[in-house]
Amino acid sequence: MTTIRDELTIERRGRAGSAVRRRTNFVLFLGPAIVLTVLFFLVPVIIDITVSFTDLSRSLRISEFTMEQYEKVFRTDRRLSQVIGLTFVYVFGTLAIFNVTFGLILAITTTAIRNISGSFFRGVWLLPRMSPSVLYILLWLWAVSPTEAGLVNQVLMQAFGLDAPLDLLTSAPIALIIISNGFIGASMGMIIFTAAIRGIPEHLFHAAAVDGAGTFARVRFITLPALRWPISFVTIYQTLSLLVSFEYILLLTKGGPFYDTTVYALYVYRRAFESGQYGYGAALALFLIVIGVVVALIGWRFFDMERLLQRPRIEVH
Amino acid sequence: MIHWRIGTAALLSAALAAGSAAFLAATPLLAQETVKLELWSRQDPSGPLRPGNVVKAAERLNKELEAEGSPKRVEVAVRESPAKGFDDDALQLLKVFGIGEGPDIFIAAHEWICAFQEDGFVLKLDDYIAKYPQHFGTIFPSLWSSAKCPDGIYAIPQDAEARMFFYNKKLLREAGYDAAFVDAMPERALSGDLTMDEVLEIAKKVVDNTKAQYGVLHRPNKGPDYIMVFNAYGNDFVDPATGKLLLERDKLAAAFGWFERGVKEKVIPANNTAMEFDALRKEFYTGNAAFWMYGIWDLGSVAFPTYGLPQDEKAFFADWGWITGPAPQKGGAPVSLTHPIVYAIAADTKEPELAVRLLGHASAVDLNTDHAVTTTHLGIKPEQLEDPRYAKAWPLARATELLKITKFLPNNSQFGELNGIIFAGIQGIESGRLSAEQAADFVIEEASATLEDVTVK
Repeated sequence: MTTIRDELTIERRGRAGSAVRRRTNFVLFLGPAIVLTVLFFLVPVIIDITVSFTDLSRSLRISEFTMEQYEKVFRTDRRLSQVIGLTFVYVFGTLAIFNVTFGLILAITTTAIRNISGSFFRGVWLLPRMSPSVLYILLWLWAVSPTEAGLVNQVLMQAFGLDAPLDLLTSAPIALIIISNGFIGASMGMIIFTAAIRGIPEHLFHAAAVDGAGTFARVRFITLPALRWPISFVTIYQTLSLLVSFEYILLLTKGGPFYDTTVYALYVYRRAFESGQYGYGAALALFLIVIGVVVALIGWRFFDMERLLQRPRIEVH
Repeated sequence: MIHWRIGTAALLSAALAAGSAAFLAATPLLAQETVKLELWSRQDPSGPLRPGNVVKAAERLNKELEAEGSPKRVEVAVRESPAKGFDDDALQLLKVFGIGEGPDIFIAAHEWICAFQEDGFVLKLDDYIAKYPQHFGTIFPSLWSSAKCPDGIYAIPQDAEARMFFYNKKLLREAGYDAAFVDAMPERALSGDLTMDEVLEIAKKVVDNTKAQYGVLHRPNKGPDYIMVFNAYGNDFVDPATGKLLLERDKLAAAFGWFERGVKEKVIPANNTAMEFDALRKEFYTGNAAFWMYGIWDLGSVAFPTYGLPQDEKAFFADWGWITGPAPQKGGAPVSLTHPIVYAIAADTKEPELAVRLLGHASAVDLNTDHAVTTTHLGIKPEQLEDPRYAKAWPLARATELLKITKFLPNNSQFGELNGIIFAGIQGIESGRLSAEQAADFVIEEASATLEDVTVK
């Protein structure tokens, strides 16, 4: 027979036990993520901020802590406004044309045809993402080579009778970096949108067909509304990704001709690693971090991402 | 019994004596000390003997040490960097020194040496050079200026070369120039009678009257050759009074103007800086361009082995040739540029004396000639001219003539960065983004904003 006192003790033990379990679970499940976040996100940001207040240059020596780098950013660097403008064109162009729109077109068309053919085309579109960057860009360099040997020029000269070869690397460098990045970027949207389309209950399409809806009406009134949340996610995620990526641009155009394809992230790289101005590169990089955070917050509010994270929104009931 | 005792004692004594002798003989070996010297070298197919000769020199130095009775022996470990060019390599090496992991010896382009000196990474060599005249006494005096920083000598010249305008005589003849005109061009350039703009005119006539697509081609990345054009228009980039970087707007604009006119006349391609190095060479050596602005070593490294240009002197000059960088106006001074590569020693190396002696042996006449004749780089000592192999390598002998008028890139620690800005200016002009005046302003603004102590006139 237990007394009231015993019951209270057991209850306290239970509460204490569950509190310990909660703490243990917290450490077990979130601990690794927290450690990784601190190590790979917070520490680099702190290092970047510290370095941006130094005169760290070619020989990695710090002789003084200074505001000089920020003075350069705000007062003397006339190249920055052009670089920021170009970055906007690059990010917006790649996102609007390829990562979202083309990804959507690929997802809709490859889910509308037979499953085997759809899977095949999706597989083909994934190939550039799986290829090593250097190989992918080598193919591009061959394709747009400004000589008669270039693939584009071969086609234009032989099939369309063009007189002299085109030099797209000089005459249309921005278009080239958008297309080459977009061909890879589109595949991520394609996968996410395909999964979302597959999540739409079949009976909705059947019902629409019975009501006499054509293909475009079904896409407009059933598919697109169901894809609102995946589109929001792809837009925000790819914006952040494009803001910091420059690998393909560096390989394809080296940021040129002149500064024509030097986007912000590449500009930071060139200043820091090609000129050896590490302190200045760190100051510039800090602004990239700030821009990323601001863009993420705007996207979060604009697309109401909080609701997306609360409940799955793909299924239509 | 006594006999047995004497015999045993004799045997034991003999064994002891033999053992002692063997021990004494082995003692120097046991006391021998191996000094490991690490050599930093860029992986460069155009100069494999730059590090290779240092490795060979270790054998010679070790023999010398042995003869001196020194217990020390030198072992060279080569650390190769995969950098694409000497500028990238120097930046990498500065970082390596910055974290305290620098090598004992390194190979660099001469214009970077003061960047190492400024940070205290490189050993001052004046006293050592004076101490070892047998190694360094006959090196061409002019080459030492490429190894000097404001307070002394910090490197040892390893090779030199000459930059010029190669030209395709066949195309010029096809374009309507007679053989006498074509063959007289080198003399006219050297005397200041052939001008920079005349080169553009000739190139235009070639583009207009032959199947050749290009008039003048130049390197597609940052480097020394195009600095010849800037030198021709009077840009020296360093104020002789202060040693600081000097930018003269009018002279810069004049040099950029030459590139601007070249592109307007469709003689220099607008995409020159977007083309690959090998593609550019191919265009010239396969007869699709009139001029190619580059260095003498391109003949031995690329033109002969890859494109089959005639190696025989007479056959070569029948259809190919080179001129110095012409003068900007009639009667002006022609230009050429040499870009020595140098050996340098780390300031904190534990055995500076041995490192200097090692590089002394690497600079030996025969070893340097091995490098010179196999890569078509100019030697560093007059004795090399007497080597029959050197005499047989006619491009070397012929290019040596250009050393009379040659210039160096400035030995200023910031010139590497300034050169990057100048190259961006050329890109801006050729791709139509900037006029010559705007390019001059661009260089001045960019340099003033990013470099220290730039004097602008």
